Amino acid sequence: MNKKHSLYAVIYALLLGLVCAAMLTGVDRFTADRKAANAQAEEVRNVLGVLGVPFDAAARSAELLEVYEANVTTLTRGEREFYVYDHPEEGTLNATRFDGPGLWGPVEGFICLRDDMNTIYAITFYRHEETPGLGGDISTPGFQDQFRGKVISTPAGSGVAIVGDGADGPNEVDAISGATMTSDKVEAMLNETIDDILASGEGS
Amino acid sequence: MATNEPIACTTCALPGGPCGGKGIATLKDGVWAQNPISIQILGICSALAVTNRLENSLVMGVALIFVCVGSNLFVSLLRNVTPRRIRMIAEVAIIATFVIVFDQILKAYYWEMSKQLGPYVGLIITNCIVMGRAEAFALQNRPVVSIVDGVANGIGYAIVLALIGFFRELVGAGTVFGHVVMPEWYVPNQLAILAPGAFVALGFLIALFNALSGANEEDEGTQP
Repeated sequence: MNKKHSLYAVIYALLLGLVCAAMLTGVDRFTADRKAANAQAEEVRNVLGVLGVPFDAAARSAELLEVYEANVTTLTRGEREFYVYDHPEEGTLNATRFDGPGLWGPVEGFICLRDDMNTIYAITFYRHEETPGLGGDISTPGFQDQFRGKVISTPAGSGVAIVGDGADGPNEVDAISGATMTSDKVEAMLNETIDDILASGEGS
Repeated sequence: MATNEPIACTTCALPGGPCGGKGIATLKDGVWAQNPISIQILGICSALAVTNRLENSLVMGVALIFVCVGSNLFVSLLRNVTPRRIRMIAEVAIIATFVIVFDQILKAYYWEMSKQLGPYVGLIITNCIVMGRAEAFALQNRPVVSIVDGVANGIGYAIVLALIGFFRELVGAGTVFGHVVMPEWYVPNQLAILAPGAFVALGFLIALFNALSGANEEDEGTQP
């Protein structure tokens, strides 16, 4: 067939597309198990991190999973799933996932409560697309560590507050300067989760 | 679109022999005389973005060698059956396939690095070096010498990236491959880690390469 013919180009494109697709499918099949294991390890790493379970940062997927299974149990309260760990010094810790819209994209994280289900042990944000250097600082220790020891409900009402200045209340933390939108959205998603946690506590 | 002229490599377009007698010249061109970054100033976006650590730079260099070799080989093998009108789409399809293959392998076997490099591995698809070599070289040359060209340009890219990465990690964090090498009194200069540091490092490197190779000197009289 003449190379200049349109039909030739169509058949050529079709065959090339098939070959490329076959290569991609092959590689995807070949790597699927390992990719799934990596994704699971990442998840486990996040859970272990927020619960303060000691683990080797350079550990491989299988080892992480072992540490996880030896230390962490899951518990469903209401509709919400909690990851529970008996910390040798801090007592029983309960972590649960939260998510919500950030300024640029979805934000996901864990909130971890102490045994009283009121005091915050830790909060982590493991996924976000906020502006680096501004809203992106939600995933830095500087922002996350502020939540340690804060409470999710006070006699005056429930929820945490991310405030612009003078965060001195038992449920207040400092917002990130220049990232008001992110701070507001994070506050909203945390409080939605907190309401949910409190409701699930009452139900059980 | 009627022209059949090679874009850059006029001296390499002669047939004959597995490498057409041009193997060594091709290798030298890619790595040094026509280095894609320091001489041709191509593909510098990724050279600036991922070079804040030496390890990242090296993995990116390996990625480019892999993609360049794969795409050059395929484009060269298909050069006599590819319709001219859709050759660029065909090249992009081939390049994209190799990039995704590398990205998937990285995700499976080097998850941490895959997270660090983020979107930049995928962006190799749009790297001008890869398509430039396919258009300028592989379309006119036999498979073997095209592989040589791919390796040469990949190495040329990798060397420059490694140098920038080495410099930025050393100055910006005081480490090499994550090991502390600078004395204790050294205060890491954050500027080197940030984007402007990459521009500064690349500028010095290009100046150095030009001074060493004497490139662009002959142009001086004709520059406007």
